[in-house]
Amino acid sequence: MPRSLELRDTPFFPQEDFQCGPAALATVLRASGVAVHPDALAPQVFIPKRRGSLQAELVGAARRHGRLAYVMPGTGDPLLAELVEGRPVLLLQNLGVEQIPIWHYAVLVGYDADRNVAVLRSGRRERQEMRWQRFARSWDRAGRWAMTALPPGVIPLQAEATRYLEAVAGIEAAGDRRAAAVSYDAAIARWPENPLAWLGRGNVAYADGDLAAAADAYARAATLAPGHAAIRNNLAQVLADAGCIEEADLQLERALALAAGTAMTATIDATRVSIEADGPSSAAHCALPDRYWPD
Amino acid sequence: MRVERFRRSCVALLSVSLVSLALQTPAAAGIVGTADAIAAVQQQGDLAVVRDALAGADVREQMVALGVDPAEVEGRLGALTGMELATLAGSIKEAPAGGDSALAIIGIVFLVLLVLELTGTIDIFKKA
Repeated sequence: MPRSLELRDTPFFPQEDFQCGPAALATVLRASGVAVHPDALAPQVFIPKRRGSLQAELVGAARRHGRLAYVMPGTGDPLLAELVEGRPVLLLQNLGVEQIPIWHYAVLVGYDADRNVAVLRSGRRERQEMRWQRFARSWDRAGRWAMTALPPGVIPLQAEATRYLEAVAGIEAAGDRRAAAVSYDAAIARWPENPLAWLGRGNVAYADGDLAAAADAYARAATLAPGHAAIRNNLAQVLADAGCIEEADLQLERALALAAGTAMTATIDATRVSIEADGPSSAAHCALPDRYWPD
Repeated sequence: MRVERFRRSCVALLSVSLVSLALQTPAAAGIVGTADAIAAVQQQGDLAVVRDALAGADVREQMVALGVDPAEVEGRLGALTGMELATLAGSIKEAPAGGDSALAIIGIVFLVLLVLELTGTIDIFKKA
């Protein structure tokens, strides 16, 4: 890691009153290639009577602009690693004290280990230098929350698989299936043994109406994690949709056994009911023959 | 008084119509969403799955009450997972809301000076 580094090209939007959320979010979105202005973001994140913006909504707004909000682990190294990869980091600071917090969003764009400073785009200051310890304490008092805006398919070198998949599942839930598909593919290339990456890929394929691709992805996930009830449930549903009733019943049975005693039981019961309501008979033609499904 | 009652019935009416409009999220019958599946693995999921539907309606109502333009609420909540909605439902009034720094700091400095003045520690607001 270099001794010092500064992403000088990072754009700057001086914030209006209480609008550090939109300004900071616009900064990282613009740096990731999205042409957006804080004025357009304010109606998507600002809460008038709280005079500020919530973390969850910055995450949501990033998704609405086609970017994954990767929420970082709360240690310093990954922050610096993001800078090294050329991505500024949006973070929450508490500029007050624990009892009287002053919540503020800023964007980390650089650091200098020799001069012991963090470099920020913050509020109305285009380039704020903060002593590193003071900066770290303000971040610490805010629960060490930080995120980067990732274009679909880009995975930080130091990324944790589950954190990254949460970010993808988020943009999937927000309805951006294209971005989700590209990102699940990237996750599968990086962590081919991760069952949740395959599950996500299957869910996007299913939503796209591609039953064969969904079934294959779920089957792969179930092979990697034979004890995961949700994966069996989804495999059962897609098999039933494809007319493979016997195979679906077997997966459903497995799912129910695995989910015994958890809230997932209700979900799987609902799947059983919907399969029984839709499936006309066990004589239905199976559109996915000659495939092996995990036992 | 009448204005307040009018405002309240507007909010009530609006939240009812928003609730009936919404809940567009569920992927498809019989499919467990990826976010819920990840949450289940981390054993936070049980709550989220159950509270999904309720949480959406709850957050909607609170957002409008906190001054968010009702026309924007749908799009904002549609960008969140069930788990995030459930968390938000319980924390929207206290969760950190990043806002201005400069104004707040000036305000607090003023407050501290005022307290010191009133307790007689300092004497800077003395009349001429």
